[in-house]
Amino acid sequence: MGKKLIELKNISKSFGDLVVLDHFNFYINENEFITLLGPSGCGKTTCLRLIGGFETPDDGEIIFDGKVINDLEPNQREINTCFQKYALFPHLNVFDNIAFGLKLKKLPKTEIVDRVHQTLKLVKLDGFQDRHISTLSGGQQQRVAIARAIVNRPKVLLLDEPLGALDLKLRQEMQYELKEMQRTLGITFVYVTHDQEEALTMSDTIVIMNEGKILQIGTPEDIYNEPKSRFVANFIGESNIFEGIMIEDYLVKFVDREFKCVDKGFHLNEAVDVVIRPEDFDFVPPSKAKIKGIVDSLTFKGVHYEINVMVDGREYTIHTTKYREVGDRVGLSVEPESIHVMRRQRS
Amino acid sequence: MKRLRFFSVPYLAWMLIFIAVPTLILIMLAFSDYSLYYPSRFEITWVNFQIFSQSYMSKAIIYSFGLSIITTLICFVIGYPVAYYLANLPEKTRKIWLALLIVPLWANMLLRIFAWEKIFTPLSIFTDLSGLSLDLLGTNTGIVIGMVGMYLPFMIFPLFSVLERMDYSLVEAAKDLGATDLNVFFKVIFPMSLGGIVSGVIMTMLPAMTSFVLPARIGLGRINLIGNIIESKFMKEVMGSGGLSINVGSLISLMLMLFSVISFVIITRFDKEGETLI
Repeated sequence: MGKKLIELKNISKSFGDLVVLDHFNFYINENEFITLLGPSGCGKTTCLRLIGGFETPDDGEIIFDGKVINDLEPNQREINTCFQKYALFPHLNVFDNIAFGLKLKKLPKTEIVDRVHQTLKLVKLDGFQDRHISTLSGGQQQRVAIARAIVNRPKVLLLDEPLGALDLKLRQEMQYELKEMQRTLGITFVYVTHDQEEALTMSDTIVIMNEGKILQIGTPEDIYNEPKSRFVANFIGESNIFEGIMIEDYLVKFVDREFKCVDKGFHLNEAVDVVIRPEDFDFVPPSKAKIKGIVDSLTFKGVHYEINVMVDGREYTIHTTKYREVGDRVGLSVEPESIHVMRRQRS
Repeated sequence: MKRLRFFSVPYLAWMLIFIAVPTLILIMLAFSDYSLYYPSRFEITWVNFQIFSQSYMSKAIIYSFGLSIITTLICFVIGYPVAYYLANLPEKTRKIWLALLIVPLWANMLLRIFAWEKIFTPLSIFTDLSGLSLDLLGTNTGIVIGMVGMYLPFMIFPLFSVLERMDYSLVEAAKDLGATDLNVFFKVIFPMSLGGIVSGVIMTMLPAMTSFVLPARIGLGRINLIGNIIESKFMKEVMGSGGLSINVGSLISLMLMLFSVISFVIITRFDKEGETLI
């Protein structure tokens, strides 16, 4: 991973009274696949549009390759965008759509033809150059949109929920293809999505946002395993979240029971949130378990069962490959390293 | 829904009786020497085509085309920026402007022509108000100004409707790919509004070419367009001094009709959804 390519320093942006981005800070490394992840309206698209040059920040600096680019028009930035609804030119065919940027640069004709054909091959649309945009399927249009952007060999490609309109199978295929492309082309990808699974599979770095603020930046593993807040834990995957008290280092108390854990550095008896992932619970005989309950419901999910267990009037969600009948008495155990303790959010 | 079909019968019958049948009569008259005063005579002949060798007819055709083309060009140059501006306005302001454009259209066309006529005389209320004295009756300038005033909205509406529907993200996409504002206009906005341009041009040019009250009043009969020739041919027949003038009038009318049909075909070619037709 190389040097910092893009840096957003203290960026604020409001539309009317609505604060969309609030003193936003982060940087993007060269050749990185970075994903802005958050619920709708969290400001992720605005952030992308600021980098692309379609919006100007009210405050702060956008730095690209060491230069402040706040006032550069989109056409002056070495950045290309793959738009949410593709925004392909309906009056042009596939070839002319992809060649649009190259023709503007007045490249020699043979080079344009070569590069367009190379790119068509890359996005697996060989032989589609004469097709009209309206005759393409959603997935094909999406790939034309990507081709139109990467044919210009930008330093950065911005992607705004590019897979949102595709069905599950195609989406998974495209996730893989996009990641592959990013690796082979060595282009920095800035990807916007609200789909946590997409973010986890594709990214080198994930930026979790909510209400115009960054909640956590980290690798997918970091964010999944060590969420810094209740919101992140909830947003990334399903979670069981408990309110608890940190009794001392390596000892946490929740649901009126004490558990060993691997966290330290909290105040004595500090109020905390405890996250336990559904797949981190294990069934043990009730006699040996600290947590005992009754199976409330069971859903087959393909690879695993999702089992809800009622414990003292509270539902625990568990993902397991072990089968239990509804009504069974079960005991639950959890390893100390699977207990994630977070500072309580002051809200 | 079958029952609804019944209610369409009156107007369909109307179209048959007052459009299809008269067209057939026009065709019959245009290609024959049939005359109301000698109903026994009927022979298919090209004799009516001799009208096109008359200098006043060729002059009328040239003037019709010339003035309507100039009118259309002016309407396009004025109308395109207006349509673009309107299409990008916020909903509320746009409605006000559109109302200003549409409401005058509901005033009777004759009234508006008479108004132009008054303004174009040397001593008019316009002179009182502005101190400018216009003397444009009987001039090409007068007719063109009148036609532009009359037909400009027909240029603006189809352009507006394509520009309004245009996806603004395409402009962003073009800029993203390195297009300057000028590039964006010529490579994206203009080609994408082509359907509207074709409709606008035809919907302005056709009525301008075929108008006859306006050139009659503002042109003071000094400038005759095709429409005026047709009128005079039919009026002669009404006056009873016909000869074959109604046949000639029919032939010229058919010619205009042919233009209209061709124009319609062109519009539907360029605008398959018919979104620019109002």
